[in-house]
Amino acid sequence: MSSLYRASKALKLCRAAPTAFSSNYYTTRLSSTSYLDSILGWTQSAFFATHSSQNVKPSIDLCQYASDRIRNFSIIAHVDHGKSTLADRLLELTGTIRKGHGQPQYLDKLQVERERGITVKAQTATMFHKHNFLGTDTEFLLNLVDTPGHVDFSYEVSRSLAACQGALLVVDAAQGVQAQTVANFYLAFESNLTIIPVINKIDQPTADPDRIKAQLKSMFDLDPSEALLTSAKTGQGLEQVLPSVIERIPPPPGKSNSPLRMLLLDAYYDEYKGVICHVAVVDGALRKGEKISSAGTGQSYEVLDVGIMHPELTPTGVLLTGQVGYIVSGMRSTKEARVGDTLYHTRSTVEPLPGFKPAKHMVFSGLYPADGSDFEALNHAIERLTCNDASVSVTKESSSALGMGFRCGFLGLLHMDVFHQRLEQEYGAHVISTVPTVPYIFEYADGSKKHIHNPATLPSNPKQRVTACWEPTVLATIIIPSEYVGSVITLCSERRGEQLEYSFIDSQRAFMKYRLPLREIVVDFYNELKSITSGYASFDYEDADYQASDLVKLDILLNGQPVDAMATIVHRLKAQRVGRELVEKLKKFIDRQMFEITIQAAIGSKVIARETVSAMRKNVLAKCYGGDVTRKRKLLEKQKEGKKRMKRVGSVDIPQEAFNELLKVS
Amino acid sequence: MFLKSTFSPIFTAIPTRIKPPKHSRAVITDAAIQPSLQTVRQNASTDTAANPSSLLLVHKLPPTSAYIHLPFCRKRCHYCDFPIIALGSSSSSSTTTTNSDCDDPRILNYVETLCREMKATKLSSDPNPPLETVFFGGGTPSLVPPKLVSLVLDTLSSKFGLCANAEISMEMDPGTFDGVKMKRLLELGVNRVSLGVQAFQEELLKACGRAHGVKEIHEAVEIVKSCGVENWSVDLISSLPHQTPDMWEESLKLAIQIQPTHVSVYDLQVEQGTKFETLYTPGEFPLPSENQSAEFYKIASRMLRDAGYDHYEISSYCKKGYQCKHNLTYWKNKSFYGFGLGSASFVGGVRFSRPRRLKDYMCYVQNLEDGLLDCSEDSFTDYKDLAVDVVMLSLRTARGLDLKSFGEAFGGSLLLSICEVYGPYVESGHMTCSDEKGRNITSDEFSFLLSDEHKMNKVVGFLRLSDPDGFLLSNELISLAFGVISP
Ligand SMILES: Nc1nc2c(ncn2[C@@H]2O[C@H](COP(=O)(O)OP(=O)(O)OP(=O)(O)O)[C@@H](O)[C@H]2O)c(=O)[nH]1
Ligand SMILES: C[S@@+](CC[C@H](N)C(=O)[O-])C[C@H]1O[C@@H](n2cnc3c(N)ncnc32)[C@H](O)[C@@H]1O
Ligand SMILES: [Mg+2]
Repeated sequence: MSSLYRASKALKLCRAAPTAFSSNYYTTRLSSTSYLDSILGWTQSAFFATHSSQNVKPSIDLCQYASDRIRNFSIIAHVDHGKSTLADRLLELTGTIRKGHGQPQYLDKLQVERERGITVKAQTATMFHKHNFLGTDTEFLLNLVDTPGHVDFSYEVSRSLAACQGALLVVDAAQGVQAQTVANFYLAFESNLTIIPVINKIDQPTADPDRIKAQLKSMFDLDPSEALLTSAKTGQGLEQVLPSVIERIPPPPGKSNSPLRMLLLDAYYDEYKGVICHVAVVDGALRKGEKISSAGTGQSYEVLDVGIMHPELTPTGVLLTGQVGYIVSGMRSTKEARVGDTLYHTRSTVEPLPGFKPAKHMVFSGLYPADGSDFEALNHAIERLTCNDASVSVTKESSSALGMGFRCGFLGLLHMDVFHQRLEQEYGAHVISTVPTVPYIFEYADGSKKHIHNPATLPSNPKQRVTACWEPTVLATIIIPSEYVGSVITLCSERRGEQLEYSFIDSQRAFMKYRLPLREIVVDFYNELKSITSGYASFDYEDADYQASDLVKLDILLNGQPVDAMATIVHRLKAQRVGRELVEKLKKFIDRQMFEITIQAAIGSKVIARETVSAMRKNVLAKCYGGDVTRKRKLLEKQKEGKKRMKRVGSVDIPQEAFNELLKVS
Repeated sequence: MFLKSTFSPIFTAIPTRIKPPKHSRAVITDAAIQPSLQTVRQNASTDTAANPSSLLLVHKLPPTSAYIHLPFCRKRCHYCDFPIIALGSSSSSSTTTTNSDCDDPRILNYVETLCREMKATKLSSDPNPPLETVFFGGGTPSLVPPKLVSLVLDTLSSKFGLCANAEISMEMDPGTFDGVKMKRLLELGVNRVSLGVQAFQEELLKACGRAHGVKEIHEAVEIVKSCGVENWSVDLISSLPHQTPDMWEESLKLAIQIQPTHVSVYDLQVEQGTKFETLYTPGEFPLPSENQSAEFYKIASRMLRDAGYDHYEISSYCKKGYQCKHNLTYWKNKSFYGFGLGSASFVGGVRFSRPRRLKDYMCYVQNLEDGLLDCSEDSFTDYKDLAVDVVMLSLRTARGLDLKSFGEAFGGSLLLSICEVYGPYVESGHMTCSDEKGRNITSDEFSFLLSDEHKMNKVVGFLRLSDPDGFLLSNELISLAFGVISP
């Protein structure tokens, strides 16, 4: 879990020591919320900006922009290499936003994004730019997509690329090529996009553009002479960016005289307008008032509003071939807006676009209402949030310890954490999360197979013999300064990794590929990797096949009673250690109660770790002096409220924190 | 879970805050007007309304007890957070009654205000029953010159009436009174003395910031005894800083030796804003650990009971027949007056605490006289609040919760829910249950009764905390009932 906190840039914002930060995570986060709120005056409504800028700016006539005057491009990079900052500069340069106004990283609109300083959702903005092209001054329409850098959100990147013909591959001039640089390069390369290397942050004293050029050449075969050198901070070199975009990236290839085909890129729910869809017009044109249908759902809609993100929603009444914009079509819920769907004119017939492969859920955890808040409230919050984050899968489940709740699937742990944070910040929900698990497969003697997304559903003493178990693996890319190679190899083999590739990017940097069980990287891996490499390692992964593995279910029992929400599945060789850690952690968080409590970790009926919490001996024996009953009563009321916040298993009260603490055990 | 289905209908069928009947007759009419609302509680209330001991009524009866706060002390003890006024060393002369011309004007002023408050207080009924108990608490009431005590008693007597055999208690500190003063107080009607001993070790008294030593304690005991005070009590505090088990046993032994009829044993509370709070953390040296402190409580319980004292309330012990009648009004949830700085009263079902700062208190009295305070009589009764108070107060006593009366007042299903939540603790021995005749109900019988509401209502008599294990965890146990009554 804590690896995520490291991954988030809030760390840098707070300048807190990493360890202190991870343990005080919740407090820090809260205080930083208000800090940013007051400094930036940021409010949630800014995200759902509904004010059209129609009245402020002269209305835009998109008809002057035929496909050959359009360029669609993404900005892709490793985490923190400056994508969002570069996007800011380009928006300023084109007068789309005013310089010095608005927040830095203008397109990072979510509160989580601002607090953590990371991009979570891809954002599109349309800009206009005059350029002398083939001898004549021509006005171009440019669609820029800022993408997230973190591995969890690479799904956002691949979606964004589908609407683009080119990408700015941003590389930090000091850090050079990192794991997500590699991953994102290949995403763009495989989509046949024109790639423009941008070596950014050249203002840094340790910048070494030549070394980076050499890396780009050796790793991606990118011509050093094609690299642009920029500083998004000082503005140096920025003037070459848009001309290069216009000259090197081809215009969108769609046919303007074919029937309309639009790719549904993203959708979110706006309180005032309803569902807003982001679309790329691949062929044909769309006008306000027209009827459209969805290839995925067969539903038809009338286009009530259509326009561009400039960067706020700006109605244009029309979207032409190759253009990217938004539509409002009276959809009731974002469930109707399937990302990757093809939209077309009702009554025409078109071949659906290829769309996207569905997002793959890597980790699952249970989400339950905390603080005695009720299930319905949480249900409502989750429903609303999934309207804006369709990449989470949600099914109902129940736990004897925690009551009714949900099993949610996430793209990764940062995604999970961001989802929790958004639930709290944007919908005021308080949640208890169970230990995240990866999806396992168990096979029984009768040949039946069971997919396990919740360890509690795996029988502790199965009637049928388990004949095989499989766990998901990932292909991990690790880039490190060469002096850390030894310790990284040790770490990976502790995590049951198998080395697939080991080479050097240049004289100082090693590049390794590993196959690792997903479970081993879900908790704490990145954290550990960073700490053994003094923060120099970069890490990325993509999902890979299942592999057979010796897995066991580890139960946690309180006074002999299993706590379903605390069950985990671990590799047999790790069971002992994980069991000890879980039991010790719980002991710290469970207060003394009227009875002695035994905490046990067990595999089937075999106990592998045990602790006891001795019974409470005495309460405050405050008297009711002079009949001052009120004071005593307040004390007892407080005690009762405290109890209410606890979850009860058998006769044992478990504080909510205990559940959240368990997330941190690997 | 259980509660939701069985208990809440009682409160939803009739509004939680209903206007309580002023006279028992009114209830009967109420029920007659709304015969459709035949809930358990309503039936019960009609049946028992005529019964003055009904838990629904007892707090509504006119008070027959008065607490009077006399806040003066020589200095503030290091553990004390009561509303007191420290007089400083100048008042040492008031130990004796002889130089009455040296009376501190602060005391005189205060007592005058106090009497004004009593006079300005509206009687809660007419005619009102005379007072049966009066308790002078502090502060250090024994610092107040007897003639001012006399003034207070006269005022009380003429305003409210005073039973001839009323229990009149006074807290007295060693070193603040002599035989003459003691005799004067007895003549005025004081007939119960509560002596603030706290500890019998010089070093502990010093560490507490007490204004007296061990010698003064023995002198005070001598005075009390030689003046023929029959009913007297000793206050002790356990878990003081640096207190060892040996010291504690010694204190208890000495307390038993001097043969008071009553002993109060308080577990040290480290209160906010006290000197102790700045110096110590509960459970940490030099304060005893939670386990040691529990041990102290057990030692006291064992030694005092062995010496023939009845452990009749969490922190109170007495020889047969010497329970503090005044304090019993608290545990029975009966009404009582409160007069003076920071004092609490419970009249007409309303709990009220007076201002703790002298200036604010003076203002309060002035407003009271000017009729600016709305002491509206017809308060609403929140039955949940009432039930919570009843449980909280009665479980402090060895007698325990009178389940019959509770069921009659609040309904059989609430009673069952309470019994249900306590089931595991009857089994673990933290609580005990008895039938009407005082015969013990075993935990097996008890869990059997839980499945039969009707039988439960019929058989059970009292539910109580066991001594010492249940008493030690009283907060934990009592708050369980809170959760049942108002989840
Ligand atoms: N010195 C210097 N700092 C820069 C430059 N560009 C961006 N930064 C800083 O680098 C940090 C990260 O910038 P972002 O624009 O948020 O990076 P990003 O690539 O969008 O990050 P993710 O969206 O989280 O992947 C910020 O503190 C920027 O101020 C640059 O050219 N020079
Ligand atoms: C109103 S106080 C003091 C009365 C009188 N001045 C005296 O010292 O005896 C009554 C009793 O409460 C107890 N007491 C006061 N403060 C306490 C505390 N913080 N913790 C435990 N007991 C306390 C003491 O035993 C004291 O005798
Ligand atoms: Mg960004």
